Amino acid sequence: MSDWSMDELQEWDKKICSIGEALGLDWYPIEYEICDYKEMMGHMAYTGLPTHYRHWSFGKSFDRIQTEYNLGMSGLPYEMIINSNPSISYLMTENPMSTHILTMAHCVGHSDFFKNNRMFSETGADTVIDKFKSSGKRVKKYMEDPAIGIDAVEKILDACHAVRFQVPRTPGVKRRSHKDLKKYYTELIRNDTSGQWDNFDINKIPLEPDSNLLGFVAQYNRFLEEWQRDLIRIVEQESLYFVPQACTKIMNEGWACMIHEKIVNSLGIPDDYFLSFIRLHNQVVRPHLGRINPYHLGFKIFKYIEEKQGFKECLRVRETHNDETFIKTYLNEELCRELNLFSYSFHQKEGYNKITDVSGEDSWRRVRDDLIKSVGLSSIPVVMVRDLQPDGTLILEHEHDGRDLELSEANKVFEHINDLWEGEVRFTTVIEDESWEF
Amino acid sequence: MSIFREHKTIADRAASDRARHRKKIEKAIKESIKDVVAEESIIGQSGKKKIRIPVKGIKEHRFVYGTNQKNKQVGSAQGKEVRQGQRIGHRRRSKPQEGQGDQPGNKPGEEMYEIEMSLEELAGYLFNDLELPELEKKNFKFTTQEKMKRKGKRPYGIRPRLSKKETIKQKIRRKKAAIKAGSFDPDGDERFTFHQSDLRYKHISPVKKENTAAVVFFVMDVSGSMTKSKKFLARSFFFLLYQFLNHKYSSIEVVFISHTADAHEVNEEQFFTQVPNGGTLVSTGLQKAEDIIDKRFHPNNWNIYTFYCGDGDNWSIDNKEALSAFRRLKEVNQVMCYTEIGKLHDYREYSFFAGGSPEKRLWDWTKLIEDKDFKRVRLEESKDIWPAFSKLFGGKK
Repeated sequence: MSDWSMDELQEWDKKICSIGEALGLDWYPIEYEICDYKEMMGHMAYTGLPTHYRHWSFGKSFDRIQTEYNLGMSGLPYEMIINSNPSISYLMTENPMSTHILTMAHCVGHSDFFKNNRMFSETGADTVIDKFKSSGKRVKKYMEDPAIGIDAVEKILDACHAVRFQVPRTPGVKRRSHKDLKKYYTELIRNDTSGQWDNFDINKIPLEPDSNLLGFVAQYNRFLEEWQRDLIRIVEQESLYFVPQACTKIMNEGWACMIHEKIVNSLGIPDDYFLSFIRLHNQVVRPHLGRINPYHLGFKIFKYIEEKQGFKECLRVRETHNDETFIKTYLNEELCRELNLFSYSFHQKEGYNKITDVSGEDSWRRVRDDLIKSVGLSSIPVVMVRDLQPDGTLILEHEHDGRDLELSEANKVFEHINDLWEGEVRFTTVIEDESWEF
Repeated sequence: MSIFREHKTIADRAASDRARHRKKIEKAIKESIKDVVAEESIIGQSGKKKIRIPVKGIKEHRFVYGTNQKNKQVGSAQGKEVRQGQRIGHRRRSKPQEGQGDQPGNKPGEEMYEIEMSLEELAGYLFNDLELPELEKKNFKFTTQEKMKRKGKRPYGIRPRLSKKETIKQKIRRKKAAIKAGSFDPDGDERFTFHQSDLRYKHISPVKKENTAAVVFFVMDVSGSMTKSKKFLARSFFFLLYQFLNHKYSSIEVVFISHTADAHEVNEEQFFTQVPNGGTLVSTGLQKAEDIIDKRFHPNNWNIYTFYCGDGDNWSIDNKEALSAFRRLKEVNQVMCYTEIGKLHDYREYSFFAGGSPEKRLWDWTKLIEDKDFKRVRLEESKDIWPAFSKLFGGKK
């Protein structure tokens, strides 16, 4: 049996909370659920949400997690916490007390980040659990409806999942509706004297390229049935909810690691707990050779900021930045050199990954910029809705930034998009410097 | 202060989604099997033989960046020396090989399952699910044989079948009754004689018995015009036929006959690999099958199936002869099938240029005798195999 009791957990929690408050943190109340490893795997498979809708892909990820766990290929995470109010977190019964202490301290950091970082301001932490519950129920209803059935529901969900991150990536920035945009452009044209707006088609849809592919389809595909539209909206809403987390992975983890270190250091825990805490902590924040460990990178940068500018500045940073700006602002030459960061890419002629830049005097900037390009959602290609033609043809364009799409995958995704759009779909990108149309 | 809750166990929440995912994998297995059957030496193998089937995972597709030179990644190497231009990691093939989509593991990140199953299991997979059960009943015939079987006793019949035992039993019965009734005195001198009504004869009546043994003739044109890929198709098709019939009959024999301008009985390996030269006389292969049936497999005892496979390239003088051989074989076969591999228009054009007017080919001739026992199927590529198979056994799939 485990070496802890509920009373002990509550006792430690009380101490952790008072230290957190003393640090000036402000977090949602946390609701810890004690579960066994099997339930933990279930939560992992469903992205942590206890009320998530069903889809075979979660069954697939459950099987994968279970296989890897059983084969000893990977352990289970110590913490898993949801951006909700209260924040739901899971503690595994199998873990020892020392792990729980670390986990709880870590969760305080995450919850504080969720509550304060500006990227999360529109995620609706108060209602998210209920929202997912409601959408889960609706999906179930559609699946069980004999007029719809599970196959039809899966067809739409599969297609939506294929483009799930084709949603706006700038949380916190107000998006103007078509109506607002039209008003804006009408004004612009009316007051225009330079003639640069003469050829502008005010009846065009969309007026500006739209990054919200799912939302656009839900709004403009007239042939959708209500349940189909609802499914698309459900996936869109979920993506929008997760975008801030994807945009702040490094910061969020770095911050939580920094907080748990601070809290545990001032907890005054017994020596044997402390040893296993040190071991665990080092395991979490160690660098991964050849890759980037977000825990490590975020932790290092936050420590650096604290060292140079104090903890107050860290509190400010955790409110205002996201991964891109965080790295751009704070990852300097010194840190790059210390972490020994390098960029590499695949060279087809040789068949090897080759290092293109190391953190040198000038080249560290290139490494940093390459890093920015590969963090969070920047690693997912952006596809814009360019135009909806009067005959119902949907024109999509990949925003090419030097990186080509993997064509075999893009082809499949293209097929999925066709499942969502009644009418022709045209999709252009650039492959090896030549334009390419599907 | 935080809240702590002992998690109330919900029954395994992923269960239904996992089941759903497995269903999809099973479907993928079925897809893959079709590719696999063509490659393995499996006809006539014991059902216990294990084969490995690579199955593509059910992948969720996304827009992703390819691995080109401009797609840069960043890594860390604390405590290690790195320099520009250094090679890292293992050598990879530069491009996934397109066109050979069935090859496992070519593309990076492709999820593969490898499933090992025995031929028996595989056949079960193939057929149990193919909406076949219904058509089996309709279309599965067994040859029957009449046998005389004893069936009780009757008061009349022919002398040789007189049952002495039963007759005496009848007499004793009558005697006892007579004593009881007082019409016969057992102590008297009078004999109690047999009577006409005592006679009992063994009765026999004919019953039909189903033969559960089958013999399958695979006859194939192995002349030069049958290319490797055509044989490959034939082989896949034959495999399915074999497995299907094997599934249905208690015992099954296979005869391979390869023919060019003359025919030979061969073993499986020779059947698929030999490349002799020579012209094509379809009738020779069919006559060989007839010969073997005459000598070894009497139609009353065996369910006979003959599958002919060729590319329709017969010498025209032989067509009439072949047709009559088909006719004769059809009479003794449960199902006889003429399979032609390749496109129909191919040879039409060819013959048009070669000889002026398009002449009737074997495909056209065989149409004349097509009915429920004689089927024509055409295979152009491997995806035609299933429809052809269903056509053969009357399915609608």
